Amino acid sequence: MKRISLKITGAQGQGVNSVGEMCAKGLKRAGYCVFGYREYMSLIKGGHSSYQLDVSNDKVESTEQLVDILVCFNHHGLEKNVQEVKPGGVVLHQTPDWQWSAQQLKDLRKRRITVLELPTDSIVTKLKAKPIIANVLITSVVWSLLGQKEEALKALVQEQFGHKKDLLELNYRCVEEGFAFRATHMAVASVMLPAADKKRWKDALLVTGSHAMGLGLVHAGVRFYAGYPMTPSSPLLTFIAEIQNETGMIIKQAEDEITAAQIVSGAMHMGTRAVTATSGGGFDLMTETVSMNGIIENPSVIILAQRPGPGTGLPTWTAQGDLFLAIFGGHGEFARCVMSVADAQDSFDLMPEAFNLAEEFQTPVIVLTDKQIAEALWTQQPWNQKKAKLRRGKLVTEARQLAKLKSADRYDPTVKDGVSSRWLPGSKAATYVAQADEHSADGSVDETDENARLQMEKRMRKQVALRKQLPEPELFVGGKAAWLTPSLDLLLVGWGSSKSVVLDALSSPDLKGKRVGYLHYSYLWPLKTELFGKLAKKSKRVAVVEGNNMAQLAQLIRMECGIRIDASILKYDGRPFFYDELKQEILNLLPKI
Amino acid sequence: MSIKLQTSGPSMKDYHCENKCTWCDGCGDYGIWTAVKRALVESGIHPYEALLCYDVGCNSNMSDKLLGYRFHGLHGRVLPFAAGAKLANPKIPVMAFGGDGASFSEGIGHFVHTVRSNYPIIFVLHNNANYGLTTGQASSLTWQGQKMNTAPNGMPEQTLNSMDFVFSLEPTFVARGFSGNIKQLAQIFKAALKHRGFAFVDVLQACPTYNKFATHDYLLEKCVDVNAEGHDTSNLALARQAAIDVSKRIATGILYQREDIPHFYERLVPRQGLKTAAVDEVKIHDITKMMGRFV
Repeated sequence: MKRISLKITGAQGQGVNSVGEMCAKGLKRAGYCVFGYREYMSLIKGGHSSYQLDVSNDKVESTEQLVDILVCFNHHGLEKNVQEVKPGGVVLHQTPDWQWSAQQLKDLRKRRITVLELPTDSIVTKLKAKPIIANVLITSVVWSLLGQKEEALKALVQEQFGHKKDLLELNYRCVEEGFAFRATHMAVASVMLPAADKKRWKDALLVTGSHAMGLGLVHAGVRFYAGYPMTPSSPLLTFIAEIQNETGMIIKQAEDEITAAQIVSGAMHMGTRAVTATSGGGFDLMTETVSMNGIIENPSVIILAQRPGPGTGLPTWTAQGDLFLAIFGGHGEFARCVMSVADAQDSFDLMPEAFNLAEEFQTPVIVLTDKQIAEALWTQQPWNQKKAKLRRGKLVTEARQLAKLKSADRYDPTVKDGVSSRWLPGSKAATYVAQADEHSADGSVDETDENARLQMEKRMRKQVALRKQLPEPELFVGGKAAWLTPSLDLLLVGWGSSKSVVLDALSSPDLKGKRVGYLHYSYLWPLKTELFGKLAKKSKRVAVVEGNNMAQLAQLIRMECGIRIDASILKYDGRPFFYDELKQEILNLLPKI
Repeated sequence: MSIKLQTSGPSMKDYHCENKCTWCDGCGDYGIWTAVKRALVESGIHPYEALLCYDVGCNSNMSDKLLGYRFHGLHGRVLPFAAGAKLANPKIPVMAFGGDGASFSEGIGHFVHTVRSNYPIIFVLHNNANYGLTTGQASSLTWQGQKMNTAPNGMPEQTLNSMDFVFSLEPTFVARGFSGNIKQLAQIFKAALKHRGFAFVDVLQACPTYNKFATHDYLLEKCVDVNAEGHDTSNLALARQAAIDVSKRIATGILYQREDIPHFYERLVPRQGLKTAAVDEVKIHDITKMMGRFV
């Protein structure tokens, strides 16, 4: 698989994102898979941000550290990012009179890097346009450097500016100027993309993980969203709010995370599907409510979009450090399900499942995602909408069944799997208390020892039943799903955003023929370890790949089945695993066998 | 118990619950409890037609002392839960109950935003000016200088002027009752149940065990029904004045109400013209059209 990458750098607000998005759209339509990765700081204007696109005709869902084309909106990129250009690569910038140091020049020559200075200011002045138009000019030069056609870019420009005729004309001129600039630098070789696969990619969607999750929630029948802004969960709130007139959903920007969690709890108790999303700090505030939903046996779904902590941490960066928080956050013992999405596919597919499990087991479900998944741009085939079925468990809605219910059916402690009948306020039936104090079968407060024991055991039986129902983790060998339990030289185990980059690395020419497997956990609590145990026995070496310092999944696995995983690839600097970096880490683990 | 077929309106018996009350002798909660049942019955609401949401405190130990769909949750958090429930199914009347301890400390943020959101729910404030269930600590409504459980030398903080605070938020319904006047209280609750938006009912109640300052006798002597005097409920400034000036007498009844302001749900553009509630719309939704924007 051949892949190329280009990185656009600049101050926040300069247009880095719009050039990135335009290139991504154009390349996808031309028949490429594109993966977009954003780095930015927790500020609005200034700072140093970047938008990187990794492009291939095959599936690509990871970011390389070294790039083929570097675009610098300002001199910071020239200072900070030039080391990230591959030998033979191109640097495009627009800083007049930029002076390299002698050492830099030597280095650039040694690595055969071409530097192109685009006279943006004079072109914009010549066109009598506003500076913002430079975005299209830069896109045009990049477009031509990628060997793409002028007409394709014009078609995109037409789509974006077609409603304003004079603006459209100006933008066409910009495209032409970009190509004219390229023509005066014909000595610079184009960065060669592999042959396009139009059939495979042209109708795919370009979505962020937040878009995917938002659509997944709509698909799952969610009718109510309450949330408080916190990166990286905010783009989901924004997207859900943006489409509210299409979906008819109730949107509430709450005054804090506790409110958001309580609002959705009330709405779920009433019988709709409601959701909130937050990041670690906000989830901390929600944990009392999670515990409450545990005891009142209220289905609830909370999305926890991770970023590095502790404290405010690195607000705009990524991490997988809140696995323990999701599993153990909240006082007391109660049944819960913790799952994690890995990519745009999951961010959609797992939403109906999260709600089905919440309703079937009448207990909290926590869905983990992270900044990398939520804000990356994914090339996604349209999701299969026939897969999801609505499952609401023991919800009673039919009049004759309702009439038969007794108050004491609500928390009947004798039910085998711990899941008792649930019915909704407003139903013509016997009434009960959704009681957060320890309670007897009808929800009356009951502090007797025998009752406390029976109710605790009832609720915890749900955890056993849930564990039985959850699927085993999924095994991949050579980057593809595997159904057998083969002998392996190296078994990698991971969850969340580790998946896509591990699979990309395992499909790389360097690792393709090797006996390396990847076991991916989508369901993390209750944790299934049977398949893992079998594979671990047949593997020469086992390692976890996690974006945290404590190897949290490894610790959980040990806690659940006693097997100690001694090797790990961990990262906790706010950056995701990069494709080339991870490939090397995996190779490093291999020779030691 | 399972439900009996009923053709007539509800009766007090329908709300009767076998559990024994656990409040102190002379507690104001008995009066509020009775008035709630009476208001629901007189409003023609069957137990299965309403949701009663309880905070945590002596007040909320009512949760299993009457029938109806009830919820008993976390300290200070009852308002957002009640609001979420109501918005999910606006056809169901939702009453929330909480004490002055929770509502004006941990829950004060929720209170502020509930008023400004104007959710169509009722909030009954059991106001005994202390934390009863945790055995008599000062709340923010305890009179300054009172010796309380955690302040044996007298409470150093200034007392929050709750009514002045409430009126500063420009609410759409404010009433004050007294747990010793069940008839008036039931009338207030009935009016609150009919109110278009958020209805706040401050109920002054005795706490014979821990509140030695605003006793039942004190309240009995000072409370006056201003509606009987022809009080103008449409004037915010006058209502505010009547509410906060308690030096000579305490004004009770419906103090302020306006119904020309849409409540939260009515302001939701996506819900305009829909006949269904969010609880009726749970199904797998087709998103084909929405995918279009991402090609």
